[in-house]
Amino acid sequence: MDIIQILQDSYHVMIKDMIEFKRNRFEVAGLIAFPLIFLLLFGFIFPSGNTHENVQMGLVNLDQGAGSNEFITQMETMNKQLATTKNSSYMSFNNYSSVDAAKTAINKGTINGAFVIPPGFSSNVTSGQPGNVIVIVDNSNPTVAGTIEQVSSSTIGGLNGISANTNVLKLGSEANQQINPQAIIAPYVQNIETTIPGESNYFNFLAPGLIVMIGMMYIMNGVPETISKEKEKGTFDGMLSAPIHHISIILGKTMGLTIRGVVQCLFVLIFAVLLFGVTVQGNLLLVFFMIILGIFSFIGIGIMAVSLAEDQATAAMIMDFIMFPMIFLAGVIFPVQQMPWFMQDISKVIPLTYAGDAMRKIMLLNANVADVSTDIIILLAFGVITMLIALPLFRRGMKD
Amino acid sequence: MTENAIEMENLTKKFGDFTAVDKLSLNIKKGKIFGFLGPNGAGKSTTIRMLCTLSNPTSGSAKIAGYDLIKDPSKVRENIGLVAEKMIMYDTLTAAENLRFFGKLYRIPKQKLEDRIDEMLELVNMQEWKHTQIDKFSTGMKQRINVIRALLPEPEIIFMDEPTLGLDPQTTYSIRDITREINRSGVTVILTTHAMIEAEVLSDRVAIIDHGKIAALDTPQNLKKLIAESDVSIFGAEITNLTPKLIEKINSLDVVDAVAQQDDHNLKISANGTEALNQIIDIIRHEDGNIASITKSNETTLEDVFLAVTGKEIRDQATGKAASTPHMDGEAPKSRIR
Ligand SMILES: Nc1ncnc2c1ncn2[C@@H]1O[C@H](COP(=O)(O)OP(=O)(O)OP(=O)(O)O)[C@@H](O)[C@H]1O
Ligand SMILES: [Mg+2]
Repeated sequence: MDIIQILQDSYHVMIKDMIEFKRNRFEVAGLIAFPLIFLLLFGFIFPSGNTHENVQMGLVNLDQGAGSNEFITQMETMNKQLATTKNSSYMSFNNYSSVDAAKTAINKGTINGAFVIPPGFSSNVTSGQPGNVIVIVDNSNPTVAGTIEQVSSSTIGGLNGISANTNVLKLGSEANQQINPQAIIAPYVQNIETTIPGESNYFNFLAPGLIVMIGMMYIMNGVPETISKEKEKGTFDGMLSAPIHHISIILGKTMGLTIRGVVQCLFVLIFAVLLFGVTVQGNLLLVFFMIILGIFSFIGIGIMAVSLAEDQATAAMIMDFIMFPMIFLAGVIFPVQQMPWFMQDISKVIPLTYAGDAMRKIMLLNANVADVSTDIIILLAFGVITMLIALPLFRRGMKD
Repeated sequence: MTENAIEMENLTKKFGDFTAVDKLSLNIKKGKIFGFLGPNGAGKSTTIRMLCTLSNPTSGSAKIAGYDLIKDPSKVRENIGLVAEKMIMYDTLTAAENLRFFGKLYRIPKQKLEDRIDEMLELVNMQEWKHTQIDKFSTGMKQRINVIRALLPEPEIIFMDEPTLGLDPQTTYSIRDITREINRSGVTVILTTHAMIEAEVLSDRVAIIDHGKIAALDTPQNLKKLIAESDVSIFGAEITNLTPKLIEKINSLDVVDAVAQQDDHNLKISANGTEALNQIIDIIRHEDGNIASITKSNETTLEDVFLAVTGKEIRDQATGKAASTPHMDGEAPKSRIR
């Protein structure tokens, strides 16, 4: 049987699948809703950048002297400066009369942490001794604790800066010298330049990988589902007993799935740009090509699972087994650099790592084909090899 | 070319240790209607699936329309049509879309395909449903489309696995009429059914298979004659206080081959030997059964043959069908009326 024939037959299968898809409202709705849900979920679960808003802090002033009042005033001034927008604030302060009261509030969850100014703070400061401020951190929740530590250390750091500034100026005027206090207190300054213009944004990191990841999930769930559905309904026998090459069936089905998968990826892209402020620096055509290549590289695994599994449930289980490590280890959601070495090694054998990497480079860094050629070769090879293993398995697995 | 549409030689299918089809050797002549009968799990569907290239035989060989099943499966597929146990149809596609899809897989040229679809819809009187989705159809309408789907590419041989299962009498008759009609036009029909009457009125030849083996093979007439001439007798017994325990007792008699319950009071008993009737009456009386009437049928039916050949064991572990019902329920009374 010649290749033209196979392609023609797979075309018929694809068209049939497309009509079925079109008539299924839930599937059509899912194609659009799924990317949106994913973007919202992953986008908001993980902190975007280092900005904090409205961190609820308790304030226990056991000193009530001039020094502590000044400290609090300066802290409030700085709080306003750190706020990201006009109407929000970095921290919100709630006064408590005792440490115990503040601790109770932490346990109740009303506040996330508390500053405690101990008795004798003012006299310590005036007498040249360190002005200790106690920060109470709720370490039952490590994430919140980390945030509070960050918040308090930047607060104390900022206040130290302010007071150092005043002291240096005072010393300078006493010595009758023109002094730039910054040059003494903080002689080294970092200037951060970004590769992509605009604010750095978690969505920028997330979106490119997410696009191929959602494409991957669509294909890897779709292949077993579409085949097992037909097997269970008995319609598969109709195609298998027709004089067509069995490859046409799987080819037609994956063509249909690929088209729908690409459409879904494009929805992720559109939502990411329109709703989440992601910018595409690179060539859209290259982005499109990467989406197709990314999806292609997963088809083989999908076919393998459905050929080896007896039924839908087993196939779905095999898929989950393969997909979950990919989702978390491919560096789509968490940067690979954050992982321990052995996980970094695993991530190197996951095709999604390369697809996500290439997408990020193209979309964010305007990389060209040559820049991502390694990724392309790896994905192509992975796709072709798995396909070559999968197709004979499929042909064998169709008969009982 | 041979005059046989199908030639099977030692065709065998094993599922693990279990032999579903056991060295089946059988020739089916071209242009005939051949009926496969047998209890649930006898291996009828498995045989058909092998002949349709859907299942690989464990051993043995077969030729379909002159082509070797193993060596030339695609040629085999070009020449067969399949009405399987499950309907081969996509629920969300319209009748025409379903027919068109399968027609294209058989490479029927576009215009010819459209003409053929109309022609076939007309055959089953469903022209006005052409553009309606299958899921809006009744079972009978679905099955009519399912049958013409198999006929669309004008196959030489058509396999029909229980084509009238679950259909009302009208649709059942219409399917039987279509079967006869296509057979008259030269198509060989392989039919499986649990409706004895269907096998009897349609088939030129019948094979009763049991445990994957042929238990009887002949024309319906000859098979019936066989029973009539043997010392097997078929009794009808009407017992007003029929209990499962009583049926069990009758069944356990050595002279009894099979017992089939017809309704709340009526049994059909297949037995052999001259002492049979006395023994049956004795045991019923002994169990305090109240006999309203005992009849001995003068005319044997195919059902009688079936019972005599396949015996009393009920194949409950076989397929997904209800385990406790005797295998000929539903259709049995019809066969009795004759
Ligand atoms: N794929 C399979 N795996 C294991 N056993 C199977 C398989 N298919 C069929 N069988 C077994 O083979 C036997 C024959 O089944 P088959 O479907 O051919 O029976 P049948 O004669 O068509 O019965 P029915 O009248 O109930 O349709 C049954 O015992 C069945 O359980
Ligand atoms: Mg069957």
